[in-house]
Amino acid sequence: MEDIEEFKYEPKSVKEIFIEMKNTVELMIDLAYASILFGDKEIAEEVLDLEERMDLLNYQLMTHTVLAARNVKEAEQATTILQMANAIEDISNAAGDLAKMVLEGVELHPIIKETILEGEEIIGRILVSPDSVLVGRTLGELELASNTGVWIIAVRRGKRWIFGPDKEFRIRAGDILIGRGTRTSIDQLKEIARGVIRVIGNERVRGD
Amino acid sequence: MKELEEIKDCLIEMKNLSSLMVDLALSSVMYNSEEIAEEVYILEEKIDELTLKVKKLALRAAKNLDDPESMLSVIEMATINEQISDSAYEIADIVLRDVEPHPIIRKIMHDVEEEIGRVKVHPGSILIGQTLKQLKLPSKIGVRLIAIKRGNRYIYNPSSDETIKEGDVLIAVGAGIDKLRELSNEKSEEEEELD
Repeated sequence: MEDIEEFKYEPKSVKEIFIEMKNTVELMIDLAYASILFGDKEIAEEVLDLEERMDLLNYQLMTHTVLAARNVKEAEQATTILQMANAIEDISNAAGDLAKMVLEGVELHPIIKETILEGEEIIGRILVSPDSVLVGRTLGELELASNTGVWIIAVRRGKRWIFGPDKEFRIRAGDILIGRGTRTSIDQLKEIARGVIRVIGNERVRGD
Repeated sequence: MKELEEIKDCLIEMKNLSSLMVDLALSSVMYNSEEIAEEVYILEEKIDELTLKVKKLALRAAKNLDDPESMLSVIEMATINEQISDSAYEIADIVLRDVEPHPIIRKIMHDVEEEIGRVKVHPGSILIGQTLKQLKLPSKIGVRLIAIKRGNRYIYNPSSDETIKEGDVLIAVGAGIDKLRELSNEKSEEEEELD
């Protein structure tokens, strides 16, 4: 019995891999557009690194999924996971192609940047001033994504890039946040980062 | 140049649509909704048309440019957005096949960072009677509406003039889905399927 248990289907791992794939592909697209907008090869390189990571994740997912199917019905259902994972990997390849435009030095027509700046959701660069209520707080504490609608995809700290910062990431004065959101959201966060707006969401972050 | 303006408008529309399509495709799988999946099919055709249009315009524009090669990046940008929309189509296709999507897919969608959610607007909700322009959901609670189900009808990519009505089912993407649930007076999450 115990031997059989060892081969038991572990939905958790498939789920974890899949979640990482979906979160990664979203980050890749955003970073790819950011690399074009700022003509930044380092960001573009990160997109290509993530593309490799996606290949690995998809391979792991396939292995787990194939291993997990115990009968024809489960095998059929498993194909839906594989189809979805492949489609997500295709999107990551598209993001990789965007980043390659920057790395291969393809001359970018100004229209491309204008497109990125004028869509429904745009990429913005937000400088955090020492006076801002953002300073010293983590992305999780601030609930920045739901309170401002801006998704932070990267942070420039001194000469270093931090890509896909997590909830524990603590903002410092002088950080340059790269965020994705509607223009209104980005503009609002810029005001918060400048220290002009001292309130985030519905609550006062600091009494003053 | 007239062509360049047109190209820009097409590319912006393509970028908006391809991103909308991915969100719609994922929500179609999550809720096993053939209706949403079919909308992705329709949008995919629209993207194909736009891709062809951009290519033609780019060639025409290239004739009058000192640097015609700069149009390559324009064509590449259109092609990449077409690829993304093709992938969205592949995802939506799962719903339109005879095979039921694996139950794990729905569970997964609840745990991703940028959630997709479906929220019903209940009586007494402060959302009722307000336009999307007034509500500013993206900057206030970090949520974008990708579709509204009103009765049997879907309104995809609702415009800023759209007014929320009682009983609307909002299909939303973003970090603040829970806040949207509070605003809509929704007590508990409903699990039944859309179609």
